[in-house]
Amino acid sequence: MSDRLSFYVERSSLLHRLNPLTKLTLAFTLIFLAFFGPGYWLPAGLYLFVLIPLSFLGGVGKDFVRTSLRLLLPLFLFLFVMQSLFYPGGKTVIFSLWIFSVKSEGMAFAFLTASRILVMVSSFLLLFLCTHPSALMNDLARRGAPAALSYIITSTLQILPQMQAKASAIQDAQSSRGLNTGGNLIQRTRSLLPLVGPLVFGSLVDIEERAIAIEARGFMLPEKKTSLIDIPDTRPEAIFRWGMLLLILLTTGYRLWPS
Amino acid sequence: MNIIQSIKKDFNTMTLVLIPVAIAINVVIGQIVVLLKLPVYLDSVGTVLVAAICGPWAGALTGTLSNIIWGLIIDPNALPWFPVAMFIGFVAGWAAVAGLFRTWWKVVITGILVALTAAVVSTPISVYLYGGITASGSSFITAFLLQSGRDLVSAVLSTNFIVEPIDKIATSLLAFAIIKGLSVRYLSRFPRPENVLVGK
Repeated sequence: MSDRLSFYVERSSLLHRLNPLTKLTLAFTLIFLAFFGPGYWLPAGLYLFVLIPLSFLGGVGKDFVRTSLRLLLPLFLFLFVMQSLFYPGGKTVIFSLWIFSVKSEGMAFAFLTASRILVMVSSFLLLFLCTHPSALMNDLARRGAPAALSYIITSTLQILPQMQAKASAIQDAQSSRGLNTGGNLIQRTRSLLPLVGPLVFGSLVDIEERAIAIEARGFMLPEKKTSLIDIPDTRPEAIFRWGMLLLILLTTGYRLWPS
Repeated sequence: MNIIQSIKKDFNTMTLVLIPVAIAINVVIGQIVVLLKLPVYLDSVGTVLVAAICGPWAGALTGTLSNIIWGLIIDPNALPWFPVAMFIGFVAGWAAVAGLFRTWWKVVITGILVALTAAVVSTPISVYLYGGITASGSSFITAFLLQSGRDLVSAVLSTNFIVEPIDKIATSLLAFAIIKGLSVRYLSRFPRPENVLVGK
């Protein structure tokens, strides 16, 4: 099961010190440009000349390149094989093998799709590598996002590793009683309930106590909550965010403009 | 009842503390299923559970946040699919309000409704973001349909109609089995216990 709780890597780089909202805006802008911006090579260029340099600036370059390739390489191999063979409307045959023929239109389409997905996934990856989820949620709550939202996200991140530990404990307990997780499809389906049952009911029992605990702390009161953690934000960053928004608007205009 | 009231009805303190557990249930059951190599995902059992006993809005929120958390800690590829998860919770919630979560065969109908919604919502995402071919094995069906002369949208849509129902019916039945294991006293603390209790 997953080896660590989030992608976050602790460093003291410029990228880590930026306000979370600035990094979130940057991620959305890059994704928007990759999908709607001009030029066939733009998404690939964004990855090579913006995202990779940024990740090295943030001191997470190795993690960034390694994780983005690990997450996407299987998809890309699959994508290239399938699209080059089956892309509708492909005419230019590069080479044929038996009944399969590789077409250049399919390859070109696969490359464009792959580079866009690369920008989409790796922009978020970079955001999560250098922003702790709870810092992002705290900052959004401070700017007026509902407190319940940041409660849900941060407490999920706390509960999840506990449940994963519980799941593997249950799995050990059931296999020591002779539960077989191998065998044919029916046998494997039957072993699902003894694994899921204790896990789910065990976790649902704790809920009531937690509800009483947060009610006793006045969580549901309508008053504005204050935060213990101060998240810095600077004027240049705010200007940068408006700049990003302008870039998105310009791209939209370029797309909609009849040429 | 207007929309604001309908949304507010879904959220009490119990909903708020159930959602994180439901998201964790989604993730952990999803991982157990991978471990057992079953031909389904079952990664929205928690979402359907919340939708049934707390309502459609809470279900939609659980689905959305579930995908965000999945993207946050396991694979950012999950992020663009959040509308699918959102609509799964939303439709399951309304089906439960309409009384389709009280007996097992009605739950099968809920599963079918959820599957149809998931198929329709995921098609444009699959077509525009991934060009129709995603990392899942069902893309072979899409490729086959493309080869036999279908256009991209109808090939992806047909593939989804083939693969979604079995997963979503199993998901709904598992959520139903969990609810049947909970006491009436416990269920009554959630906003919409009447959705799942028969004649009590």
